[in-house]
Amino acid sequence: MLAFIVRRLLLAILTIWVISVLSFAIIQLPPGDFVTAYIAQLSASGASVSAAEAVALRELYGLGQPFYVQYAKWMARVIVGDFGVSMEWNRPVTEVIGDRLWLTILISFAALMVTWGLALPIGIYSAVRQYSAGDYLFTLIGFIGLAVPNFLLALVVMYLSFRFLGANVGGLFSPEFEVADWSWAKAWDLAKHLPLPAVILALGGTAQLIRIMRANLLDELRRPYVVTARAKGLAELRVILKYPVRAALNPFASTVAYLFPYLVSGSVIISIVLSLPTVGPLLVRSLISQDMFLAGTIVLLLGVLTVVGTLISDLVLMWVDPRIRYQLD
Amino acid sequence: MRARLFTRLPVTEAAADAEERFAVASQLQLTWWRFRRHRLACFSGVVVVLFYLLAGFADFFATMDPHDTEARRTYAPPQAIRFLDDDNSFRPHVTVLRARRDPRTFRMVHDQASKVDLGLFVEGYPYELFGLFQSNIHLLGLKNAQPGETLHLLGTDRLGRDLWSRLVVATQVSLTIGLVSVGISLFLGVLLGGVSAIYGGVVDTVVQRLIEIIRSMPTIPLWMGLAAALPNTWSVTRIYFAITVIIALLAWTDLARVVRGKFLSLREEDFIAAAELAGAGQMRVIFRHMLPSFLSHIIAATSLALPAMIISETSLSFLGLGLRPPAISWGILLQDAQNIEALALAPWLLAAAVPVITIILAFNFLGDGLRDAADPYG
Amino acid sequence: MITRRRFVTDSSALAVATLGVAEALAQGGLTQSGLVGSLEGSQVVTEPAAIPKSFKEAPELAELVKQGKLPPVAQRLPAEPLVLKPLKQIGRYGGTWRRGFVGPGDGENGNRINASDKLLFWDYTGNKIIPSIAKNVEMSADGKVTRVTLRQGMKWSDGQPMTADDFVFWFEDIYGNREVVPTGIADMSPGGKPGRIVKIDATTVEFQFDVPYFLLIEMLAGDTLIGGGMSVGMYQNRSFGCYAPAHYLKQFLPKYSSEAQVNVRARSEGFENWVRMLHNKKDWNLNPELPVIGPWRTVRPINTPTWVLERNPFYYAVDTEGNQLPYINQIVMTLAEDLEVLNLRAMAGSYDLQERHIDIAKLPVILENRDRGNYDLHLDLAFNGTDTAIHFNQSYTADPEIAKWLTNADFRRALSLGIDRGQMNETFWLGLGTPGSTAPAESLPQSPGPEWRNKWSTHDPAKANQMLDALGLNKKDRDGYRLRTDNGERLRLQVQTVRAFLPWPQQMEMVAQHWRRIGIQAEVREMERVLAFTRTQNNEHHIHVWNNGGTELLYLFPRHAIPVDPTEAFMGPEFAKWYASGGRLGRAPTDPGLKKIFELFGAAAGQKDDERNRTAQEIWKILVDQQYSIGTVGQSPALMGVRLASRKLGNIPSRACIAQHCRTPGSSRPETWFYQS
Repeated sequence: MLAFIVRRLLLAILTIWVISVLSFAIIQLPPGDFVTAYIAQLSASGASVSAAEAVALRELYGLGQPFYVQYAKWMARVIVGDFGVSMEWNRPVTEVIGDRLWLTILISFAALMVTWGLALPIGIYSAVRQYSAGDYLFTLIGFIGLAVPNFLLALVVMYLSFRFLGANVGGLFSPEFEVADWSWAKAWDLAKHLPLPAVILALGGTAQLIRIMRANLLDELRRPYVVTARAKGLAELRVILKYPVRAALNPFASTVAYLFPYLVSGSVIISIVLSLPTVGPLLVRSLISQDMFLAGTIVLLLGVLTVVGTLISDLVLMWVDPRIRYQLD
Repeated sequence: MRARLFTRLPVTEAAADAEERFAVASQLQLTWWRFRRHRLACFSGVVVVLFYLLAGFADFFATMDPHDTEARRTYAPPQAIRFLDDDNSFRPHVTVLRARRDPRTFRMVHDQASKVDLGLFVEGYPYELFGLFQSNIHLLGLKNAQPGETLHLLGTDRLGRDLWSRLVVATQVSLTIGLVSVGISLFLGVLLGGVSAIYGGVVDTVVQRLIEIIRSMPTIPLWMGLAAALPNTWSVTRIYFAITVIIALLAWTDLARVVRGKFLSLREEDFIAAAELAGAGQMRVIFRHMLPSFLSHIIAATSLALPAMIISETSLSFLGLGLRPPAISWGILLQDAQNIEALALAPWLLAAAVPVITIILAFNFLGDGLRDAADPYG
Repeated sequence: MITRRRFVTDSSALAVATLGVAEALAQGGLTQSGLVGSLEGSQVVTEPAAIPKSFKEAPELAELVKQGKLPPVAQRLPAEPLVLKPLKQIGRYGGTWRRGFVGPGDGENGNRINASDKLLFWDYTGNKIIPSIAKNVEMSADGKVTRVTLRQGMKWSDGQPMTADDFVFWFEDIYGNREVVPTGIADMSPGGKPGRIVKIDATTVEFQFDVPYFLLIEMLAGDTLIGGGMSVGMYQNRSFGCYAPAHYLKQFLPKYSSEAQVNVRARSEGFENWVRMLHNKKDWNLNPELPVIGPWRTVRPINTPTWVLERNPFYYAVDTEGNQLPYINQIVMTLAEDLEVLNLRAMAGSYDLQERHIDIAKLPVILENRDRGNYDLHLDLAFNGTDTAIHFNQSYTADPEIAKWLTNADFRRALSLGIDRGQMNETFWLGLGTPGSTAPAESLPQSPGPEWRNKWSTHDPAKANQMLDALGLNKKDRDGYRLRTDNGERLRLQVQTVRAFLPWPQQMEMVAQHWRRIGIQAEVREMERVLAFTRTQNNEHHIHVWNNGGTELLYLFPRHAIPVDPTEAFMGPEFAKWYASGGRLGRAPTDPGLKKIFELFGAAAGQKDDERNRTAQEIWKILVDQQYSIGTVGQSPALMGVRLASRKLGNIPSRACIAQHCRTPGSSRPETWFYQS
């Protein structure tokens, strides 16, 4: 067991290294570099950059050097915890991400709660009352979230709430609380703004979860032990909830792997539409403008979380299902 | 299901025959019978077929040239089809509107102009059917229309282009462009998942780590880089198609993990052991015994990959990376609706979401039904 | 003896009646809407008699003076402050101006508000040069020496005096430092010969050149590398403008301590090296400690979700009653990740004055929400000829057949005649633009004349077809598209567009339909911005679409009209390289029209105003006649011209000048705006 964990850890480090090389390469793949993006962006905002300035900037950012040199320099700094300065934000990468990180986790977490809160009951009901009208109805509602394009939904909801409720548009805080220090009032303001993004974010994942829950539970409900439990006279609700549901939740262990990176990156598109200050839009902007250090760091972070998540989910699976554990010996 | 069928003993000869047919039916037959019971899935299947028919004959169903711009028609509302004339005679017609811009509010104001008859199989703009035949017959159109009188079942967009026609033509692109890439990623998923499970050991480790690496790759710069690297003379659609094929090389990870999991658990099943003891070779065991067991999951994955492809197309359009004008796809049409002036001034543009929602739901229910039907243990 | 010409008061060459502009407004839709006003704004008062003798200040500042934290207002202002006559009334102190910005790259949002930190500026008409930081600017008769007189007692925002030393510091220690600025700029090197900034005394500075440089006055007033104030000159890693706070920046330069010391300091603050640190420290958007001259200074930097600016207690301007400006205490800008959100917030009344990033397509919805959001809407018309210019790459070589047509004047003219500008105007500009060529508005001194508005720029598909047939492109394929003359395949032109200011991809889709009717196939490609710019720089594009803002004053920002700057040379990257490098790189043009243009342009810096304007007119005549860039619709409010102003604000002009040199909204003097309640 210990040998297994150690081996996996070593492999994890190797994987993360490969991820770092590849993502660094891919981020540089589009033609041009940050300076080109920067010039293009300035042009589009009515300002201008001269050719001489462009040359100077490239030298300044070390962009003229070959890929492996740039990568080596970056890695050398990352190892000691120096993630560099974002070229677009002109601030250390850790600060730029850090500003947004906890809010991202908060929103993602809220969305997850909503997702699970909606999906599990619906999934259970669908399995127990299979093919009933209720099954179809709830499944339909759950699937609407999957089918409706989320960016359009976000914009429509935002516009309608502006039009008919006069609500503050987008973002997570009302303007007066943006710069204010933390207080109960500010926390309450945040709480008021959270439901809309959380629900829109949740809608997408609900259907998937419903389907999985339903399928797993159906599998369990056909097992002999359920018949036995019923025969022994247990109340129906207890029969369902006590054993099959818990058994049906086991396969979710493998989805844990992808929870971690999701918590951090959140949903990119909805965050852009609703102007949420999360890591998602940050990632997209940095990738499009080829802001090497910021993009590289976020991708690396997500990669690490994926690897760690996979490891944890494999461990959880092993803990839950003894057959897999014995296979390793 | 089987249990229920046997609870009542057959009492008539017809019932006995039915039972016998059931007992000797092939797997395909069984699957089909079970599928038929899932009403929603059947209905969804019909919907999918209808959509593909629409896609195949897109230009026939369209009423106007989807590229034709006209400023005077900007943001024109949908025209209602009326079947009865004022004197209650049967005369299908629409009322064509005349537009002008209000100088104070800058909104387009539409005044009722003339009634124009609707007809079936009218002549309209020329098109090529399947790239082979030339035709200009359209299902629906205006009869004896004066210049400037046009049919807009779903209104127009900002450039005055007919939304219905664009929606129909978009169906063609959106439903077909991802098919090859879905096929590739499915093939790779099953292959690599299976290989990983069967050979285990080093191969398994390598594939698993590969999956982790691939999942962490940022696809946005890949899209940007590929879009730049592909020949500029290619059409927008072709470039997109090429990129989806390349990206398919990255999209197989989910299915591979599922397949691997299934293989691993199946390996322990008794009937596999029995087959091996009976002397079946590895290939035979895999293809004849194991594969059919999780065929249901593969089918389900296919039918779910298609809506995923549609969703990703729309998301990429949002980010400005996928299909772009002048190509016409649902993603592009949704972008036309993705702004405040569309919501406030031309809400009919939201109709672009309807086929997207419908087809995604249809594929999902179809997939569910197929999986339920194909699952031998359900 | 060198005779001097007083420049500031002699504005005959440049003052143009604004009546011409008002006449242009009389186009049905515009006057009826009541949304376009007349150009008005705060005026600079220069008569010595009108300069106030006693001064007042904001209550918050008075409080600080009482506490001894600030010197009294009379000592904070220069001996001869800039006097601004507010547009309507003397204002009240107080208030927070709420505004929206879109990210750390949106520095211009604040730079333009602080545009009065330049030596010279333009008045609210955009036609007259007025003093700003400089009290007076005089040029020698031969144009080689320009003497700038500063204001006695002028101070930086931290109370330190601003003197000629700050100009020399910039010239010698920043501009002259090869590690900070690797090559000189054309603005300081007319005719390729670098000039100098020399201190004459504490309040007098001279710009000295070896060749006549009559253009310099306009350059100092305009939005150029040398004339832009410190806000725009030094933001985002730039090191221009013509002055810098010596007393503050010295500590970051190796010259004043040692290279090792500054590098150590840089690393301790998280910068790679001292150059990166310097770029950060002299950027007023990022560094709240940097002393500034403009009306507001940063307290919370731009790379946070909220960019906050506060009043500069040492700002050098007062109103006619001696109240120190600005009236408004604070500017708070909130970040919007998406333009839809920004526009929606504007409609909700979350911003007090917003002209930037407002989308003209949303005009009807904005108008509907005026009462709910408690704002007024103003439409300001720009002065540049076209918001959407279709640039043909004259230096394209990859495909000889395409190159042949791109460089053929009649081909371009035919394509221009094939465009239905009325349709475009109606669809994308809601009828608010003026269809026509790229030439600037007729009211400007460099306009070639009204007849050049429509030259080659009407809708005449019959003539276009005729011209194309005559050129030999008379064979068409089954779909009606003209065929190439070399291999009989369809002639395809690639049009490169970017989704930026305006919906160019959609506009070109409409143009492509128009060109279809004259048999030309245009493949419109919407590209991601960086890719488009890279291709342009590599001379790979056939046609690139952009706007031609800045060309209202051709010499100050020529690149959108003439290929002279390699970073944005849509019309001929190879020629721009050739011109900018003095012939070393790139390729010289062979087209006689282009050659003439380069000749005229090169000579202009040494010409006096009247002559220079006539030269500009000649250049425009060639440009319009040759149609190197096709103009479509311009003089519209599409870019920064849709202005939402809260009804609580006072002294808001009914029409503001939209032009690059006006630094919209800078020339409307935001420092004179105030909250009425």
